[in-house]
Amino acid sequence: MIEANTPVLRLVRTFWPLVVLSVGLLIIVVIIDLSGDIILAQTLIEGLVRVVIVAALYLFIGNSGIISFGHIGFMMIGAYATAWQTCCPYTRDMFMPGLPTYLLNNTHHFIPAILLAGLLAAVVALITGYAIMRLSGIAASIGTFALMMVFYSVYLRWSTWTSGASSVIGLPTTTTVWVGYVYAVIAITAAFLYSRSRWGLALRSSRDDEVAARAAGVNVFGQRLLAFVVSAFFCGMAGGLFGHFLGMLTVDSFHLKMTFITLSMLVLGGMQSLTGAVVGVVVLTVVIDVLRRLETGVGDFSIPTSSAEVFVGVVIILILIFRQSGITGNAEVYWPFKPDISAAAAMKRQS
Amino acid sequence: MSELANGNGLTLEARQVSVRFEGLTAVDSVDETLHQGEILGLIGPNGAGKTTLVNAMTGFQLPAAGEVLLGEKDISKLTPHWIRRHGVARTFQAGRLFREMPVSENVEVAAVSLGLSRRKAHAHAMELLEWLGLADQAEMPAGILPYTDERRVGIARALALSPQFVLLDEPAAGMSDLECDDIMQVVREIPDRFGCGVLLIEHNMRVIMGVCARIHVLDSGKTIARGTPAEVQNDPVVINAYLGHS
Repeated sequence: MIEANTPVLRLVRTFWPLVVLSVGLLIIVVIIDLSGDIILAQTLIEGLVRVVIVAALYLFIGNSGIISFGHIGFMMIGAYATAWQTCCPYTRDMFMPGLPTYLLNNTHHFIPAILLAGLLAAVVALITGYAIMRLSGIAASIGTFALMMVFYSVYLRWSTWTSGASSVIGLPTTTTVWVGYVYAVIAITAAFLYSRSRWGLALRSSRDDEVAARAAGVNVFGQRLLAFVVSAFFCGMAGGLFGHFLGMLTVDSFHLKMTFITLSMLVLGGMQSLTGAVVGVVVLTVVIDVLRRLETGVGDFSIPTSSAEVFVGVVIILILIFRQSGITGNAEVYWPFKPDISAAAAMKRQS
Repeated sequence: MSELANGNGLTLEARQVSVRFEGLTAVDSVDETLHQGEILGLIGPNGAGKTTLVNAMTGFQLPAAGEVLLGEKDISKLTPHWIRRHGVARTFQAGRLFREMPVSENVEVAAVSLGLSRRKAHAHAMELLEWLGLADQAEMPAGILPYTDERRVGIARALALSPQFVLLDEPAAGMSDLECDDIMQVVREIPDRFGCGVLLIEHNMRVIMGVCARIHVLDSGKTIARGTPAEVQNDPVVINAYLGHS
């Protein structure tokens, strides 16, 4: 173990998890990019988009301790908002005839479009969070779930803007492996910096003890709202990436299945750790991909369809029963530096 | 120490404060004024309303009647974090540390919430922990501390950025005589070191008599006596409250 005993080493150690996660993802990206395997690359892009979502989920859930079922709603808002600006110049009248003339007649570049889409998701989070972030614990979680259902229903019926129950097709497939990687690193960096900021510290204190946090001067409602808005911004951007990865959008992709998969990734990795968020995405993406391949059959062997969903469900139940702190034990990766003494590990050692 | 004319003379005052829970009157028309630089004891049998009064004075409990004045301002309807940021801090009986966070961060939370950067907050937290003899435990998760140290961390958290008033809820509960002596020493130093007024809830009479210049006695939510330790100790009403009924 390296002892971080000089100012430079201490600085390096502080940002070490960020370095490990960025470089780790880079290695995966480079290997798959060099292999030239197109199907593998598709899985990778989807995985990188999920890194953005799950890092955003960690930012809110990990620091506040409130499980949110609503963030996929923000992803959907971002996905459609990006499509309104960038989508298919010749067919826009067909899929989304209700759009304002300005949007119908102009096509925007992907980067400003995705930023604006994230901003829209953040504004919606600010307004809805202003009500919901006053709640705590399970009440807040149910509130976010209701929010997701509301968004879903509205977008499903709002067919002149969203094509409703059918799909919007013909989005430019801007989200390449490298675009996905850049946004994944941006999201990880933001989540990392946030949780080390004074706001992250204050929010975590409310996760441990809300009453004591108030007594220590923490505006719990305000801190929750801030994290909710920031994480909604990144979920909105993830939506934009997702649409421009698939080249199409359906309201149905932003519902329970996506919510469950992304939350499972966070839970599996360790909800209170950014390392856990990324590890969870990588592990579950690999597992689901392998199971999907087995479902379609390898040689004569195949497993029943939907085995992947069943397997993920079982894994999550086992994790919740036997190891609630996930694969990472809620700790960040510091190897080869000395690890932080995590509270759980220290308590175990004492007893 | 009980001389009131020290410094800027800011006061924290409960004026006719009453708190009711579904018909039960937990605090009944209590008056008290805490001055900066003094240590005021608040005692009474279990269920006398001591903690409830502290809750009412720190924004955790809306009084049914009366006012809580910080200087001239009624703070009884304001939020706990506003009150903390404006100079009234408290500790909790149960410690209520942020168990999964390191000891240093427990104190830093209060410092950053009061406006310090993380770097400055850390330095400030370390100063406080050093004073309390906890510097070596700074990196440990707060959840594994023995409860005597837990109380100290709670006190350090409350004293971050030198509040004008600090309300300590039974800091010595369950401690041995030796440990009590340490806590007494800490409490005694607070007014001079931080320039604040201290309200001390405590069951341990040795601690109360040892550090308080004046004492306020509650029973069933009502004030039954106030005065110096000697006066209160010999007051038949107080003796009756503690021994006479259960």
